[in-house]
This record gives sequence, C-alpha cells and structure tokens, in this order.
Amino acid sequence: MTTVVKTPRAPAPASGGAGAPGPRAKRSLLRRILGRQPLGLLFSSPYLVFVLAVFAFPIVYSVWISFHDFFFAAPGANPARPFVGFDNYIAAFSDPQVIRSFGNVGIFLLINVPLTVVLSLLLASALNRVVHARTFLRVSYYVPYVTASVAVVAVWLFLFNGNGLVNTVLGPLAPDPSWLINDKLAMPVIAIYVTWKQLGFYILLYLAALQNLPKELYESAATDGAGAIRRFFSVTVPGVRPATLLVLLVSTVTGANLFTEPYLLTGGGGPNGASATPVLLMYQLGIQQGQPDVASAIGVVLVIGVLIIAFLQNRFVGERES
Amino acid sequence: MTTTTNLTDDELSGPETPDARIRTLRHRRVSGWTRTQTIVRGVVLGLGAVVFLFPFYYMVVGALQKSPDPTIAGAFPNPANLTFDNFVNVNERINLVSGLVNSGIFTGGVLLCTVVFGVLVGYALAMMKWRGARATFALALLVQVIPFQLLQIPLYVLIARDYGLADTHIGMILPFAINSTAVIIFRQYFLQLPKELFEAARIDGAGEIRLLWSIALPLVRPALVTAVLLTFIGPWNEFLWPFLITKDAALQPLAVSLANYISTVAASTDNPFGAILAGATVLAAPVVVLFIVFQRYFVSNDLGSGVKG
Amino acid sequence: MQKPSVKRTKRSIMAVALTAVAGLALAACSGQGATSTDLTAKGPITIWYSNNAAEVTWGKQMVEAWNAANPDQQITAQEIPAGKSSEEVIGAAITAGNAPCLVLNTAPSAVGQFEKQGGLVDLSSFPDGASYIESRSGDIAKQYQNADGHYFQMPWKSNPVVIFYNKDLFAKAGLDPENPKLSTYDDFLATSKALVAAGVSQYAIQPAPTSEFFQMQFDFMPLYAAASGGTPLVKDGKATFADDNGDKVASFWRSLYDQKLAGQEQYQGDAFADGKAAMAIVGPWAISVYKNVNFGSVPVPTPTATKASDIWTFSDAKNIGLFSACQNKGTAWDVLKFATSQEQDGKFLEATGQMPLRKDLPTVYASYFAANPDYVAFGDQASRTVEVPSGPNTVQEMQAFRDAWSQAVIFGQGDVNQALSDAAAKIDDLASKP
Repeated sequence: MTTVVKTPRAPAPASGGAGAPGPRAKRSLLRRILGRQPLGLLFSSPYLVFVLAVFAFPIVYSVWISFHDFFFAAPGANPARPFVGFDNYIAAFSDPQVIRSFGNVGIFLLINVPLTVVLSLLLASALNRVVHARTFLRVSYYVPYVTASVAVVAVWLFLFNGNGLVNTVLGPLAPDPSWLINDKLAMPVIAIYVTWKQLGFYILLYLAALQNLPKELYESAATDGAGAIRRFFSVTVPGVRPATLLVLLVSTVTGANLFTEPYLLTGGGGPNGASATPVLLMYQLGIQQGQPDVASAIGVVLVIGVLIIAFLQNRFVGERES
Repeated sequence: MTTTTNLTDDELSGPETPDARIRTLRHRRVSGWTRTQTIVRGVVLGLGAVVFLFPFYYMVVGALQKSPDPTIAGAFPNPANLTFDNFVNVNERINLVSGLVNSGIFTGGVLLCTVVFGVLVGYALAMMKWRGARATFALALLVQVIPFQLLQIPLYVLIARDYGLADTHIGMILPFAINSTAVIIFRQYFLQLPKELFEAARIDGAGEIRLLWSIALPLVRPALVTAVLLTFIGPWNEFLWPFLITKDAALQPLAVSLANYISTVAASTDNPFGAILAGATVLAAPVVVLFIVFQRYFVSNDLGSGVKG
Repeated sequence: MQKPSVKRTKRSIMAVALTAVAGLALAACSGQGATSTDLTAKGPITIWYSNNAAEVTWGKQMVEAWNAANPDQQITAQEIPAGKSSEEVIGAAITAGNAPCLVLNTAPSAVGQFEKQGGLVDLSSFPDGASYIESRSGDIAKQYQNADGHYFQMPWKSNPVVIFYNKDLFAKAGLDPENPKLSTYDDFLATSKALVAAGVSQYAIQPAPTSEFFQMQFDFMPLYAAASGGTPLVKDGKATFADDNGDKVASFWRSLYDQKLAGQEQYQGDAFADGKAAMAIVGPWAISVYKNVNFGSVPVPTPTATKASDIWTFSDAKNIGLFSACQNKGTAWDVLKFATSQEQDGKFLEATGQMPLRKDLPTVYASYFAANPDYVAFGDQASRTVEVPSGPNTVQEMQAFRDAWSQAVIFGQGDVNQALSDAAAKIDDLASKP
C-alpha cells in the first residue's frame, strides 16, 4: 500500500543507469567529464558558498576556541591563547548547573517532541477535511507561530503567574509555589508553551504532506471496510512518514537550542536554574561572563548530542533505503 | 456512509477539472466519516482554535486598555477602559515607517535568496545523483543544529570586521540568506514526488531547469508556501542579530526597535503592560494580515491530477 | 560509478573552497592590527549615550555645545543600542574593532572584562588622567581603579540606592507616612507585616527575584554596604560577605520571602508604580518615573539603628569608557573632560536627577538642592557608596553569588549561612584568576 505513496530512491538509479546513455551521448564534453548529473553540484553551489562564507569560519573557530584558553579580544591585543586540551570540557561538565541544564532540555524534549508530533498530525488531518470556516481555523492555529516570542511571552506570564488567569480558574487546585517559580513545573510549562507556539508550523508541514496523499488510497481502504481510525493509522500515518521525520528533526533541533523562552519567561532560567538550558548557559558564560571557551565546549557537546539524536531519528523513522 | 454532509475539500473549492470532479464523487461515496464524527471534529477544532487564538486576542485587548486589568473581566473589552494611547506612544518613540521598510528589505532579501537558491539545492539533493549530495544534506542539518549563541561573536567579527558589512542591509541579511530549514523542507517534498514523471521527461530530453520549473515546482507549491512562511517569520521577528550589526537607528528593522521599546522605554510609560502589548501587536499585525492574504495558496486541490493524468 | 575525473574535479572545488575559508580564518585571526596608540590625535569622534529620555536631552545639548566650539572635531552621537544586552553590543564591537570612542553609560561590572579584552584605554596614561579623575571625584574614585591602580573608566554618576515608600498606602495601613519605621530590620519587618496584613498591597517590597547576575545590586549589595559600614564585596582578593553582617542581611531577606512579604515571582511592569508593592529599593533616577506616586524615601535598613549620615549603600553608578578602537583619542579625552566639567555636571544633575560622582556635591550645586529638596538625601548619600568588585571576573563572581542567593534566600532551599560561605569560596577562587 505504501509503495504507491512513497516512491523511495530505488527508481532513481534506473534513470541514471538505463535512461542515461542515450541523452548522455548527445551531451557536451563537459557533461562527459563531470559524469552523471553534475548539475546537482552547480545547483547546490550557491548554498555551499553561502555556508562556507558565513558558517564555516565561525563553526571551525568555535571548535578551536573550545580547546584553548580563550577570550574575545580587540583587534590590536594579542593575548596568549594556549592549547588546553579538554580543560574547558572538564570545567563545563564538572559544574552541576551544566549537567542540570542538559537534564532540563531532556525533560523539555520528552514533553515537547511527542506532543508536537501527535497534536500536529491529528490537527492537520482534521483541518485537511474540515469544510466550514477553514480559513479562520487555519489562521487561528498559525497565529501563535507568526507572533514574536517577545510579544506572546507577556501574555503567558499573565496567564501563568501567581495571580494569573490559570490560577484564578483553578482556585484551590493552583500549585504552590506557582507554575513558573516551581522547580518541578517550570520546564513543563515552557515545553507546553513552545508546543503551542510552534504547532502551527508543524501543522502546515503535515498539511502540505497530506495534500500529496492520493485520495485513492483512502477510497480503497474504505472499500475494504476500514473505519476512520483505521484509515488514519494504515493510510495517513505511513503516508506522511517523510513529514513526520521532518517534524521530529526540526522540533528536536529547535528544542535543543531552547533559549528565548527561559530567557524571557522565567527570568534567566529560574527558579534555581530549573529551567536553565545549555544555550542559556552558553549565553551567560560566553557573552556575559567572558568565557567563550567554556561556552564553546558546552556548545560542541550539545551539537554532537543533537546530531546523534537526529541520526537515530533518521535511522528509525526515515526512509528505508535498501 | 453516503450522507450528504460529507463535503470534502474538493467540493468546497469547486473542482475545475472533470478528472477531479470524478474523484470527488467517488470520494464522497466512500469517505466513511459519519455525521457524529464530523461534528466532534468541528467542535474539537473550534475549541483548539480558541486556545490558540486567546493569547493573541488578549494581546490586542490589553494593548487597547487604559489601565491593565488582571482579573477575568479584563479579558473582555470594556468600553470605559479603551484607548489608542498605547499605540500613539509607540508611534511617537519609533519611526514605524522606516522600521517597516527595513524589515521589508531584510525579510525580502532573505526570502528571495532562500526561494531561488534553496529550491535549487533542495531539488539537487532530492532529484539528482551527485557526489557530495549527502555531505551537503548533512551540512544543511549541521547548520541548523548549531545554536546561534555559539556562533554569534565569531560571525559578527567575520561580517563586521572582515567583510566590512556592519551597518548595511547585506550584513543584516547574510547570516540568514539561505534558510537551511527551508532547504530541508524543499528536499523532503521533492523526494515525495513520483520519480517516474521525471524519468519520462528526462528521456524526452527535458533539461533539469525545465524539469524543476515546469514539473517539480508546481507540484510542491504547498511546500513552497510553507517554506516561504517559515523563512518569513525568522528575519521578521529576529532582533538579536540586526541589533548587533546595526548601530545606526535608521537601519533598524521593526523587531529591533520594538524589542528595544518593550525592554527599555515601555517601563517608563504610564501603562507599561499596555505599551508592551501595543508594541507586540504592531509587530504581529503585518504578519497575520499577510498570512490571511496568502493562506489560500497553502491548499492546492488539483495537486494530484497532473501526476495521475 | 563515478569517473575518477569527477572526483578530481570535485576535490579541486573543495580545495578552492577550503583555501578560501582558510584565508578568511587567517584574515580574521591576524586582524587589522594597527589601532592607534597615539593619545593626542584630534579629529571627529563618535560617542554613545544612554537611551533614557532625560539623559538623551542632556547628551544632545552637551554634543551641540561641544560641536559649536570645535568645528574641526565634531562629535557624532547616538543612543546606545540598548536592551538587556548593551554590554553584549559593546563587547562584540570591541572584538570587531568598531566600538565608538566614548560610551557614556559603561557599567562598572563590565569594565574589567572590556579591559581584559584590550578594548579600553588606560585613562591614567593621559598626563592629567589620574589627577583629573581624583580631583573631580575625591576618594570614591579609588573604587574604580583596577588592581594595579589604573583607571580604565571615568567615574561619572551614581544612583545611590535607597528605600522608596508609598505614602498613601502607608496611611491606608494606619502607618505614619511621614516617619515610617523602616530603619532597623525588626522595624522594617514589622512595618512590612502591617502593610501586607492591612491588605494595602500584595507585597511590602518587590525587588526582581530573577537570576540575572546584576539583580544582587538591588537586594543584597545595598543592605550589606549599610550593615558593614561600606565594606566592598571583595577586598584584597577575598570575599568579605561570609560574615556576621552578610548572614544578617541574608536572614533578613529570607524572612521577607518566607513570610511572603516579598514576591518570589517576577512582576511584569513596575510593582511600586502599580501599587503591587508598597516599597521599592531604587535610586534617584526613579523620582521622575514615579511622578504619579506620592512617595517618600529613607535610607536602606540596617541591623541596628544607625544615623542616616552614616549609612552606606550601593552606588548603581554608570561610568565613561574611552575605547581603544578610537582614532582620535586626544579629542575623546577632551570631550570626556568637557562632559564631566562642573558646568556640564550641573546640567546633567538638573536634567536627570542622577548624582555626578563629584566630591562635595551638596555644596557645589547648593542652589539645585535648595530648589529640589527631594534630592538632598541622595546628594548626601552619594558620598557613601560601594561599587561592584573590580577585575575581569566580576560578572562571574556576581552570577555565582546570585545563584546561591536565589536558591537559599529567595526559594529557601538549604541553609542560608552555608550558601553564603559556599558562594564566598567560589568567589575567592574566581578573584584569584587572571
């Protein structure tokens, strides 16, 4: 069933292998030298140049910084910057706050990512079939995403602070200490906030993917007597798997780089660092406290961690290439 | 099963091709959604919309209040407590026109680069076989994985000192020029297109540019619009980078001047809460309006017909 | 599948790209080198001043006055790119070599770092540098020297921190609004309880309970300065506060938080202006902000009754830095002296109500203080202020303190005295680092 929906890479070599000799013979010398579809490199070259020009130096530089005793200096000053091996990594990870921040972001991802995937897929498939007021509904779900965090955070603070609307509604059931100053609840509130804020974008990703699902699949499933729920699991879920992978990857990456929300929502990672994230600590250490070397060490470990998670997600959810 | 309430997307938008109409009819017959299910779905979606809209609604109401009202009643507009003063204050302190123009240049530059070059690389990654494709994809992933705070100062030094682009629009645009998430989205949606179509066209001797322009692009229009919106939000709401790179107030985009207004100036107004929310509303309004205008392009009902026809 | 030639082509493309990157990296590392070390060069300069409306007014007239008299050495001025992160912008500008000549709003907590970065000019290296600073500010200038006795910042103006109280709310709670009992910790606590019990405001006082390093300047530091008679946080490379005075200050704040007289949660907006808190702990800059509140001010409380004229507090000073990227340092130094002349200081005081760091302030500007009795207490208090620790690790030290404070004092987890001595040990360690 799924083979109709997704056409994995398998057929592509056929185009190169079997279909290629004909056209290739007609092609110019250039094509013969560069081989099969060298245009790919040409198409990608602006992007590659961009990445090299803008990111290569800072990325390499950051890794270099993490292995040296380093601080940012004015152009004229040339301070000694000895190689210190893993000292910065040891300094970073012997600080319990740093360990805790990784734990915090772990909690965040455990709440945020599954919630994001499930809610956005459900809402997208519901929205995809909705008839009445569909512009209104779609716009509603997208509004939090388009609004700057600086702006909506003020509203959430109003909702979740000690005297806020949420506690007023809950009355005696309100948690004590209140949400954002409770070290058990601060991170979950942030996770839910971010889910809410970003969901519109993931719904769009799924909506776009659902557009590509051939209706015939649903029809044949329905003919087979499958109910709405079974069709959701047997047609929709496998059909949008590439989109699911994308949602997983993007939400994991954005989640791991969480910064703005604890910075604005809990006043710099409070209470007691219960909502501090690695990137927030990097900001404090590297930019406020003049220790970019330790901050870079945290950053390098974070990046490696996220890459491993992304690799695993790609491996287990991504397209099977056999 | 055959209830008439089972209207689908296709019926609503009015299918244009006979082919689509046939599919619609078939669809209705077998769709399998009961009336109850449809109603439940509508109610759930409606409630969800309220949850999603409320903070935004509250932002607008709060921005219009003379004095902040943190009670539940404060969530409803009270004619006695309404005023445009908060917006007037924002307008007095900030040059909204030049802010909007700068935001437009910043965002427009990023959009242009992302759409042109991002589509090219996304297509190359998904549809073409070339050595380095996987490495390029990994690079696109890597670029997003790296937190901006790690690169901020080296990047600033590179662009301000080495490229000499401080206080220019290009310096502002450069780090965002090609949105890597958009590249990945393009790749993902190009991957979903049926390869047979492209093989056939290649055999017919169509060049890659032509394939991209006349076959691939029209088919991934929803993804294109998604990526455009995603790309749009980034520079529009970004304040840290333009704030670093532009010292000159005449070059600052709206987000920078509003963030500045929110964090420093608003506190000294009579109604800081209202002032903050007014600033937030001004920043959000153009995006929401643009979104409402363009949202219909997200939905493309005739997507399948070209492929299957 | 691929032909060798393809690989070669690709490899050469990569090689070109990598060379380009390496070139960039080299260019970045070697930098532009030659920043001028000439301290006498004259010519146009750029300056940044604070974005606070009153200071902008003063800054504009100062620049106009200078430019009118010095057509060959024009000042280009603009508001400091602000927000929570103006130090971040300055730090980045130092690294990139495009900092302005003068920043008339340099936070003393950032100066040590800027100096370490090589971003600041040693003002003592001007022939009349140290003498000018010391003759203007007197003994208090010494707090702004680095460990070697050099001035990398010009002490400019302070906002001595005191307690503001809302007279109307005090009256409503049945307390005497003209002679509030706020001088000792016991009195302060009793008054706070009375305020909250009477329901006139949710909290007695509401300093920001958030984790940013600089928040300690508005709860611990003023009270510790007062309790210890002006002892700085770090003296001779050792933290001083893990003593009886520090413990008393911390226990006092713990009681306020414990009895819910102070809020543990950040308030959006201004708690004092909105009547959420009946008192605030702020400097004179706030007088113009609180024009709608009927308020009075008293010095910060002390463990035992102390004469107002003996009470120390935190300075909340902002200084002037002369940045090494400046091409015309001679002009910059002249402008610095012009902007801190007796005449300009007088105009500054009048425009902003903030206290120039000038000795004998009350006598030099006697007519101003006669016309503005609200400010008299601040003028007097300005001579007894304590500054943040100096050195390159100030912010780290303050963050270490804030983290311990947040946990033990604000949220009441763990022993308060233990938290102070742990923080002191950490700060001793940081203070000894280069």
